[in-house]
Amino acid sequence: MGIPSVPLVTKAFKDLAILNAGKRGMPLERICFTPHPVWGKTPEELRVYVDGPDPITGKPLMKEVVDGLTVPLSADEKKTGIVSVSVGPPTFTDTAENLQEFYLNNGYTDFLPIVLPTQEKVDAMLKGSSHHPDEVIGKMAAGAYPPWTYTVRQVAASAVMAGCRPEYFPILLAIASTGIASLFSSTNSFAFSMIINGPIRDKLEFNYGIGALGPFAQANATIGRAWTIMSKNLGNGGIPGDTYLGSVGNNLNYNNVVIAENEEASPWDPFHVQRGFKKEENVVSLFRGLGVVPGQVARGSSVNTSPMFDAQLSDLFSTFTGFFGALVIADPLVAVRLKEQGYDTKEKLIDWLYKNTTQTVKDYKGRNYSYLFEYPQALQGVEPFATWYKLPDDAVIPHFPRASSFNVVVTGGQTNAYPQAANMSYGVSVSIDKWM
Amino acid sequence: MNRRKLLSLLGMSPALLAGAQMEAQQPKAAKSGKVAAAENAQFEALNPKGSPPPVKLIPMAPRLDSVHGKTIYLVDTGFMSGGVLLQQMQIWFNKNYPDVTVVFRKKAGSYMEDDPPLWKEIKEKGNAAIMAIGH
Repeated sequence: MGIPSVPLVTKAFKDLAILNAGKRGMPLERICFTPHPVWGKTPEELRVYVDGPDPITGKPLMKEVVDGLTVPLSADEKKTGIVSVSVGPPTFTDTAENLQEFYLNNGYTDFLPIVLPTQEKVDAMLKGSSHHPDEVIGKMAAGAYPPWTYTVRQVAASAVMAGCRPEYFPILLAIASTGIASLFSSTNSFAFSMIINGPIRDKLEFNYGIGALGPFAQANATIGRAWTIMSKNLGNGGIPGDTYLGSVGNNLNYNNVVIAENEEASPWDPFHVQRGFKKEENVVSLFRGLGVVPGQVARGSSVNTSPMFDAQLSDLFSTFTGFFGALVIADPLVAVRLKEQGYDTKEKLIDWLYKNTTQTVKDYKGRNYSYLFEYPQALQGVEPFATWYKLPDDAVIPHFPRASSFNVVVTGGQTNAYPQAANMSYGVSVSIDKWM
Repeated sequence: MNRRKLLSLLGMSPALLAGAQMEAQQPKAAKSGKVAAAENAQFEALNPKGSPPPVKLIPMAPRLDSVHGKTIYLVDTGFMSGGVLLQQMQIWFNKNYPDVTVVFRKKAGSYMEDDPPLWKEIKEKGNAAIMAIGH
């Protein structure tokens, strides 16, 4: 802005604030800190923060703030120029045991043993695609940070580390080309998912039968794992306190809920066809949100009555945040039953879920994400939030802002009619074929 | 961890951070005499990290000679209770620096969004800004 300023940050975000200021060109920015948390404190409690010390320096907070605005700048604070950033040499040489330890200790892994990305193995991985190893294919950031760039070769290194086969490589390049990291800096502990469609599911022996979301096939296991390792290495994500702030964390980050759709047993169009691709095309679609819950716990799921899966799903979704989307993960038995109930397309099911999953305005306004993300939009006139915030508290509104918040995918082994549901939003679908 | 050590983790060159060492340089030496010869075979493995952008240093704006008689903007970025904290800060200024004009503003949009009109207003009408975030 060109005028003196002081950012005020709670102490929990000390490392994040200092590092982000550095990445953005002001490494010595005069940041002042308050105790943590601020949220949920009364005005009187926060007055104690203001009158008290900066918990990092121990000096009176408001004196630091005033000093931050008035003490003349040092020579370092006036510096200009370009500072190069190094991530070390292109290769490392040592014994296998020491390299394993080195990669683990430097945050290159998911803290499980890796396959060492030797030149030989990386070269083999590169043969899985026709793209040049030095082609720069994307930019990735794990949040509001300056993004990093990366080449086909750098993607290959992470793919080897995760245990992928060379024939999996086009899927990883497709994911990398989106720039979407599977580790995100938010305190919310986000989870990520991918849907795989097309003939490649069989060619690579993805599991979309019994235990489709479990650890029962190499493609499902390692491709999902590779997304997280790529996010750490290509986008510098997953550094606790710096590029990762998830308070509790999310176990799904280990391999990111890989869903190969059971297109053959589904009564509906495959997901990628809904997105405009041809059935014979190979496509990966990415999702982001909070997690997955089982459907057999929902109301209406009694074994003594005919299952009403639409009502079950609606019940599940009513506990979700509408800020993220609602993804139905239907076993084929569930999908077939829904079709028998009249939902002969995914779109019809989505329409019913959108209209019948509701909430009161009072409940809506009381939700964390409504205040953080949608109330500011309401003030700017963005619909439906602008209208929703003007309604009386007892008015009934949709739980999700639009029908497109919902998505449906079919997978599973038909051992029982149990759906699952993810509080996840659709991001993008990209061709795998163009990376072969 | 102090600021200099933290910033060294960015891998910034010593031009800015004299004496800082990047941690990820080379693996530590093998443990001598504790592993079999086959296990001492040497491997060359790729550095899997992507390429970070260079950092363009931004000089900080000149400081005020004092805050007396100045206009200070308190900017709430929209995190939970950040505004409540700033209102307490406004009370503090009113008591301790009664000649300071304090202007409270909530930034438009969610905390992730930019607000150029507000920055323009602050630059035109203010002498300094304090931006507070939450959690």
